[in-house]
Amino acid sequence: MKKLLALLMSLTLLLALAGCGGDQGSTPNQNNASNGSTSSITPEAITARGVLRVGVKTDVPGFGLQNIADSSYSGIEIDLAYKIAESLGIEKVEFTPVTAATRGQLLDSGDIDLVAATFTINEERKASWNFTTPYYTDAVSLLVKNDSGIEDFADLQDITIGVATGATSKVALIAAAADAGITLDEDKNFAEFASYPEIKAALDAGRVQAFSVDGSILAGYLDNTNHIVESIRFSPQDYGLASKKDATEWAEYLDGLVTGWLADGTMAQIIADNGVVASYTE
Amino acid sequence: MFLLQQVFELWRWQDLLASWPRFATAFLNTLEIAVLALTLSLFLGVMFGLMSTSHNLPLRIITRIYVEFFQNTPLAIQVFFVYYALPYAGIVLNEITIGILCVGIYTGAYMSEVVRAGIGSIPKGQFEAAASQGFTYIQTMLLIILPQTVKIILPPLVNQMVNLIKNTSIVAMIAGMDLMYRANAWATNGYMSYGPSYLLCGVLYFAICFPLSTWARGYEEKLKRRDSQTSKELEKIEEVVA
Repeated sequence: MKKLLALLMSLTLLLALAGCGGDQGSTPNQNNASNGSTSSITPEAITARGVLRVGVKTDVPGFGLQNIADSSYSGIEIDLAYKIAESLGIEKVEFTPVTAATRGQLLDSGDIDLVAATFTINEERKASWNFTTPYYTDAVSLLVKNDSGIEDFADLQDITIGVATGATSKVALIAAAADAGITLDEDKNFAEFASYPEIKAALDAGRVQAFSVDGSILAGYLDNTNHIVESIRFSPQDYGLASKKDATEWAEYLDGLVTGWLADGTMAQIIADNGVVASYTE
Repeated sequence: MFLLQQVFELWRWQDLLASWPRFATAFLNTLEIAVLALTLSLFLGVMFGLMSTSHNLPLRIITRIYVEFFQNTPLAIQVFFVYYALPYAGIVLNEITIGILCVGIYTGAYMSEVVRAGIGSIPKGQFEAAASQGFTYIQTMLLIILPQTVKIILPPLVNQMVNLIKNTSIVAMIAGMDLMYRANAWATNGYMSYGPSYLLCGVLYFAICFPLSTWARGYEEKLKRRDSQTSKELEKIEEVVA
């Protein structure tokens, strides 16, 4: 009986192994195909692949928001992704959720073709990735509790401000406060969190006294217990589509699209359609 | 690929070294959380381990509840609860304290299971022999049972200790200013040199964990050697007596 069982088991194992072998035999072709297109991202390669892979935010109302009920995405950046796919002559767009901390790595590894995720353009980041002409300009502000009494930069000296990991709002706020003669310390006055909902939770729990990020994003977290500090608006931030540094042709293609849409009013229409305030102008 | 490229770019390392005091502070914070949480978890582990082997039913029930609750809920949820929910009840602990308490209590549950298993592996005769010589419960445990338990539970106990050290990185999620938080902040701000930042972070964690596990292995060997020496000497004495 035992011997029979052993025989049966080894037979099953053998079959399973053979099955694996068969699978491996059929995959190399597919692997080669996908490797060929990720190592150098070009508009033609994406059209040939038939699917555009875009890194988007899932938690920013108006820009990139994932609907919990049916997992669909909506927002300016989602509309942009579909328009880019349309001009490439393809219909399928594959969305990958990204955070401020993961979007750069995902671009570098070739897992996604572009990032449309409220990605602020700056000189340091330009050293690592290609950015298009800004499709939206925002300014940073603060969300505070109604009873906090925070009105200007001087009120920020003794509080903790919640910011998103990897976002530029921390550096921008320190600089803006310095202009107003107030010194803010990177460690004492700031706490970095992985996502915006966590900062909102920290604000509600009293862990941080202010939530600082771009105004358009803050608007999504307004409720009857808090408000945006209107006297503190600083550092206009340009959002651009980011792509991998070595994919120059693809970057130029994207920039051409964005510039065209800015000129013919398509961009303004997309912004208005998503209920977002118009781009910030000085 | 880009990560590797970053690691070989000298200017990124120079940029990182220029702000070493920030990493040093973070390293000390991690060390503080680790050392204090370790002390707490060892204390809880031995206490609850002893309680779970006692003949007192209520004590055993309390231990079961403690162990099952902390072993079967994620550490992240426990930390989030203390950080986000307790302030509503008026309890506001700072991030370092939360790290020490949460990681210490969480690991204590695992350690108590290790201690319980260790005590359970000591032959019943040892307890009976101690009782026959008039040892009290405390004396039996401290002088007879626990010393024999140590070399049995050392390997799994050190596993838990090393896990504890690595688990302290959970406070990065609540802006705990520890090593992981610093590495994350460095990797995602300024020049976004995530390659050097995470590499340094890993090396620093290794620098805390490796000496601990190496020491434990050495100590275990020493205990075993001492044991075999003792039994050889005993054999000699027995031969002489015979």
